[in-house]
Amino acid sequence: MSKVKCDHCNLEFDKSVMIEDKIDGKKRYFCCKGCQGVYHLLREEGLDSFYEKLGDTKLNPAAKKEDDLEKFDLEGFINRYVKKRDDGFYEINLIIEGIHCAACVWLNEKVLHKTPGIIEATINYTNNKAKVVWDPEEIKLSKIIQTIRSIGYNAYPYDPKLQEERAIKQRRDYYARILVAVFATMNIMWIAIAQYVGFFSGMRRDIKDILNFAEFVLATPTLFYSGWVFFKGAYYGLKNRFINMDVLVATGATLAYIYSLYAMFSKSGEVYFDSVTMLITFILVGKYLEVLGKKQAVDTLDRVLGTIPTEVTVVKNSEKALVLVENVKVGDIIELKPGEKVVIDGVIINGSASFDESSLTGESEPVFKKRGDEVLSGSICLDSVVRYEAKKDFSTSILSNIISLLEDSITKKPKIERLANQVSGYFSITILSIALLTFIGWYFYIGSFEKALIIAISVVVIACPCALGLATPMATLIGIGVAAKRGILFKEASFLETMAKSTILVLDKTGTITKGEPSVITYEKFDDFDESLVLELVKNSSHPISKGVYEFLSKNIKYNQKEIKDFKEIKAKGIEAIIDGKKVVAGNKDFLIEKGIKVDIDNQNSLFLVAIENRVVAIFELNDEIKEGAAEAIEKIKELGIKVVMLTGDNEKVAKKVAKEVGVDEYFAKLLPQDKAKFIDDFHRSGDIVVMAGDGINDSIALSCSDIAIAMGSGADIAISVSDVVLLDESPKRVYEAFKISKKVFKKVKQNLALSLIYNTFAVPLAVMGFVNPLVAAISMSLSSLLVVGNSFGIKLKDKK
Amino acid sequence: MSAGIIAMMLGVSTLLGALGLAALLWGLKTGQFDDTSKFLDAARFDGEEELKDAVLMEEKKKKALEKKKKVMPN
Repeated sequence: MSKVKCDHCNLEFDKSVMIEDKIDGKKRYFCCKGCQGVYHLLREEGLDSFYEKLGDTKLNPAAKKEDDLEKFDLEGFINRYVKKRDDGFYEINLIIEGIHCAACVWLNEKVLHKTPGIIEATINYTNNKAKVVWDPEEIKLSKIIQTIRSIGYNAYPYDPKLQEERAIKQRRDYYARILVAVFATMNIMWIAIAQYVGFFSGMRRDIKDILNFAEFVLATPTLFYSGWVFFKGAYYGLKNRFINMDVLVATGATLAYIYSLYAMFSKSGEVYFDSVTMLITFILVGKYLEVLGKKQAVDTLDRVLGTIPTEVTVVKNSEKALVLVENVKVGDIIELKPGEKVVIDGVIINGSASFDESSLTGESEPVFKKRGDEVLSGSICLDSVVRYEAKKDFSTSILSNIISLLEDSITKKPKIERLANQVSGYFSITILSIALLTFIGWYFYIGSFEKALIIAISVVVIACPCALGLATPMATLIGIGVAAKRGILFKEASFLETMAKSTILVLDKTGTITKGEPSVITYEKFDDFDESLVLELVKNSSHPISKGVYEFLSKNIKYNQKEIKDFKEIKAKGIEAIIDGKKVVAGNKDFLIEKGIKVDIDNQNSLFLVAIENRVVAIFELNDEIKEGAAEAIEKIKELGIKVVMLTGDNEKVAKKVAKEVGVDEYFAKLLPQDKAKFIDDFHRSGDIVVMAGDGINDSIALSCSDIAIAMGSGADIAISVSDVVLLDESPKRVYEAFKISKKVFKKVKQNLALSLIYNTFAVPLAVMGFVNPLVAAISMSLSSLLVVGNSFGIKLKDKK
Repeated sequence: MSAGIIAMMLGVSTLLGALGLAALLWGLKTGQFDDTSKFLDAARFDGEEELKDAVLMEEKKKKALEKKKKVMPN
């Protein structure tokens, strides 16, 4: 059978499963009704040039979306997300789901522009956020959302007031400062070249004065506008009794500037305006990269918040009403429909259903809950209608706790940067004290205040800029490169330093030590049968165990398509269907016994039994396998002198078994997200520097509390966004390597600082003795930089061995 | 070369550069570079139709505003 592309989404499927459609005498194929619908719609609207722009990009199939449009017109929803503008129009910020390429942005904007009543629609391609302005008298919000959905995308609102505006403003601010600095540097460079040449070949005094003045004009905005960030940083550092890199940069730049001013007006000596601008520019660019990282974290948090319902169905006197989540009182009866997210904690009083609690416990397996069981907010009701009594109000429920904790932690993060800057801090103090001593020494020796000041300034100027500025960044940059090659992504350079100093490693179980999804470990066949029957059955179920079996079978057998009828999934128990006329039942032991099938097996792992025509024919044994090399990696990490602790939301029994197998001595089980974070705080209190590795939404608070957070590449968006390090291939071995690399880099950083210190002890005496001229300054700066760069490349060389 | 000419050349070229910088800063401030990829794609997709589209949107906005004024004469 040949594969064909769907004409809308470009995904390839077997020809036999595609919907055939004749349009303008040409045969078109679609993978689903949704794609077909969108294709027709775009043709009718005359927007089919979309497909030219799209090219070969693959889209999500245009699945039919749930029917929840009316919620967008509810008052509570509008109050929360819609901004009423002064000119009478309404404005909302949306996140559009399903945008893959520039053509998608084009299509969405085009369609929205064509819709009557919409005044403005702009979509940001990078973060998929859209701003829509409309006339409330002409069109309703639900209609706008419906329009977006009708072309195969989905939209949900977010509250931009939270953090986004601030983040964007900060980013723009930095960008403007960098632009000014880069402009000034580029121009000052060519003036400086003329001056350097003039130093050798001689230059007329009046021309030199003009060049000096031009440099002064360019350096002034750079120091006071672009360099403002450092003055601010230095001020806050000193206020907290802490000398940071900002202090040194600010003092160095300002002193060099003042000295140059003096040299310019007194028409004696050389000016250093070029050093001032270059110093500010290079260090500012480094800072800007940090700001960019923070912005991304904010984007994903918005995504999580946008999916939280604003209203719930409350049943009162057998009447249903939609009530704002904030207005739900303890004791209210709430009705949950399949697919709905729980926002308020409570206890089930009617009905039963499976709940997806993965965002709380990290376990992918749904939990079956019946009358009297507790439902926790943040879980998702999967398969039936349930009524439960609210035991808490919205603000004290787990979900809103998690959100506020996350918001806090993202804004709290900077404390780590302070820690990372410690080494450079010591260095700054040393240089500043040497300069001070030089000043005092010269003042008493020759008694001239002016001469002493100029020499002291030249000490700072010659010692400060390049080598020291490069010592840490250069080593960490190479370290980051080496790590990235192995699939370890450090989001910020300073994290390497923090990680090298860490004393404790906290691991999450599911998804970090174990694979996180059950996979088949043994497969026993009692009878000969067509395995395609089983494959067809499990293909239809989304339960993790079915998925595990599907994965196993699709690798090992040849699949023939079968006809399936009467498919039924019984929550937390099993599945059954009539396939090719045969009754196939599969599930756990109790389920098969319930169906009147004789079973006599006993085993503690998850079992998946298959019966065809009431006879057990096969057994699959599944287990959440421990990742390859986990035990070995943990052993090696312990050798580095780091304590390893495991925290998990799973039960005690499983936790104990896993901990024993991988050699973790300390573990804590049955933890909710906040509990994990509490543990991290406890470790902090006892003076430890904590590295945490995890992957789920349930880990994100703990991750954001820890000093270094390591997230697995396939983990939840939110976990990745609060983390500092991302492991692409998720192997525990990488955690060990991350430790090793960071320790090596930290060693290099120290070496570099020592090197530039030694170098400066040669250069500084020259300055102290008053021998400094532009030539010595230029050579000493570039030579010390070269030394530092060369030494840093040692990280790469050693790595190859 | 006389010092005056050098001063003038330096002054003029720096001023021209500064004008360019000012334009760039203005563009940044009005949010024209907020979305880097879209800003680049604009060069690929922009055409007569996009221009018409933009004009259409502006007219639509004007009409909606006028209608509002009529409804509320005060």
